[in-house]
Amino acid sequence: MTRISMRSVSKYFDGGDTVANYKLDMEVDDGEFVVFLGPSGCGKTTALRMIAGLEDPSDGEIYFDDDRVDGMPPADRNVAMVFQNYALYPHMTVRENIEYPLKVRGVPPEERDERVARVAELLHIEDQMDSDPGEISGGQRQRTSLARAIVREPSVFLLDEPLSNLDAKLRLEMRSELKRIQNELGITTVYVTHNQEEAMSMGDKIVVLNDGTIRQVAEPEELYERPRTTWVAKFIGSPPMNLFEGENRGGTVNLADGNTLPTPAESSSSTVSVGVRPEDIDVSTDAPDTDWTLPGTVKTVEPLGEYVLVNVEVGGSVVNVKVPQTEATAGDAVHLTFDPADAYLYDENGELVA
Amino acid sequence: MTDTHNADDSTDADSKPKPDGGRVYHEPPETAPIAEGSAVERLRAAVPSGRRAVHYAVAIGVALLWLVPLVGLFMASVRPLDQIIQGWWNFDTFTVTFENYARAWTFQSGPMRQAMWNTAIVTVPSVLAVTLLGTMVAYPFARFDFPLKKWLFFLLIVVMAAPPELVAMGNYNTLRNTGLFDTYMGLILVHIGWGMGWVVMFLRNFLLGLPEELEEAARIDGASRYQIFKSIVLPYSAPALVSVAVIQFTWVWNSFFFPLVFMRSRENQLAPQVLPLMKGRLQIDWGLVAAGSVLTMIVPILLFVTLQRYYKQGMVAAVAD
Repeated sequence: MTRISMRSVSKYFDGGDTVANYKLDMEVDDGEFVVFLGPSGCGKTTALRMIAGLEDPSDGEIYFDDDRVDGMPPADRNVAMVFQNYALYPHMTVRENIEYPLKVRGVPPEERDERVARVAELLHIEDQMDSDPGEISGGQRQRTSLARAIVREPSVFLLDEPLSNLDAKLRLEMRSELKRIQNELGITTVYVTHNQEEAMSMGDKIVVLNDGTIRQVAEPEELYERPRTTWVAKFIGSPPMNLFEGENRGGTVNLADGNTLPTPAESSSSTVSVGVRPEDIDVSTDAPDTDWTLPGTVKTVEPLGEYVLVNVEVGGSVVNVKVPQTEATAGDAVHLTFDPADAYLYDENGELVA
Repeated sequence: MTDTHNADDSTDADSKPKPDGGRVYHEPPETAPIAEGSAVERLRAAVPSGRRAVHYAVAIGVALLWLVPLVGLFMASVRPLDQIIQGWWNFDTFTVTFENYARAWTFQSGPMRQAMWNTAIVTVPSVLAVTLLGTMVAYPFARFDFPLKKWLFFLLIVVMAAPPELVAMGNYNTLRNTGLFDTYMGLILVHIGWGMGWVVMFLRNFLLGLPEELEEAARIDGASRYQIFKSIVLPYSAPALVSVAVIQFTWVWNSFFFPLVFMRSRENQLAPQVLPLMKGRLQIDWGLVAAGSVLTMIVPILLFVTLQRYYKQGMVAAVAD
């Protein structure tokens, strides 16, 4: 099996005018499921395409185990890839699509049949084998494209937003299905998505990218619990973390709107941000007897069934709060309170202090 | 309209109204409720309004303008000369005969039997070669970057825009010098060269619509460039290739000017060359000319009718991009 290493990999387009990726350094361990997570245009797909061999790095090296692969054509890397739009060959049946990689590699027909039958069973598409890709549903197309990818037992499995064209229910179903197949086969996998829920639920490790470079590499829990920068903090979570920026007065933070908060930790920066996740804040109408509080006015209340999302205006900016239930209505003056243990402190460079 | 439908629904046995704060919920029926009203009323509803009737009238008028000469040609070909000499629309006497066809088939100074076979010998290879070569040229133009790409493509379009008379002299000399004058091979080569321009342009446009992901998927699957061309690009282009083949076939088959210039001997004559010979010296033998024309025409028409489903697909895709 295969370990992938990217060493200082950069990719420039348009003669250097566009920087798609800058100094990517990372490892994917043998059999690991790694997710590239980032907003659109962050370079995650380009990074994946470089691993696939569809693009060559402008700079840096890519290794599969100890073999340097950048510059090698995709066919020689034994990678398999699933595309966002499935990229099924429209003039071939489902069976012919799955068979194609074996055929072009000269696998004998009997072995081909056997292997195609095996993946068809694994992905539950035995009944669609003789249909054209145009005749089957989105979920079945996705399964076909997965089958085509795994039929030749690749050493690296690459997925580019494979679930984004499916409806919500199917997406959940395919998510657990993908995870099951990856567990079963133990293939080293790189998965690209902009959907953090997918990333958190499937990834052994998440690589957060923005502006073409890596912002944080962490396991899902750690990523949620310790976002390394304010950018990651604002990217992870739905709704994301609330950040209060202010002046550091050694022990207290003077917010721009005149409110003050105690600092959850020491920092030498003059400007700091205190961060609290929406689910860690409470809304109350009575003034509480703690320093960890901010006054505000309820703007909107969104009852979402599972929880209630309260948007509170605090000194000109909106704070999102997730509570199980609330009696507050729009226009109420409320107090937001939180536990100091749930608060984060970021320094002036936006990096996590505590 | 909508009002009556709603009223129908609420009394329909298929929909089960459930009380819920006075709101009525509907269960949709399997098929749409059948419209009420007598046959006369429905007929009246189907009569087009004034504006639309004008559109129909214009469309039908244009269609007739195209059809009448064809009908006339066909009429002339199946009736004796004395019945059509006053115009085919005279039906005082009406006899159907295939004598004209028989005479055309064995016409003395160029039997259609021979001429049509000659035409096929020239047309089939010209069409096949242009289609295959055209795809092989169009694919790089659609997909790869190479030096002078823009200029080469421009050159192709210029060739396409030039009138055939312009190249006749040059080609005549070339064929003379290479010993290909008055041979099928010579005429085939001229047709291939002449067809390449528009075929490449047409197929390039079509191939621009080939999703790049398909080729990337094939590259990752391990296919070589040649395998991708053969197993992905060619089958994907099938509808466009059919369009190209049908249009090129019609063009080569009906071509009059090139055979006129490049074919000389009587036994090598092509069908369109024979037609003018049929009109005779003193009196024009309309029946013979008509039968010869129908025979010549029928081949591309049959081909088009057989392949029209694919032809339309290819045209739509190539023009839409």
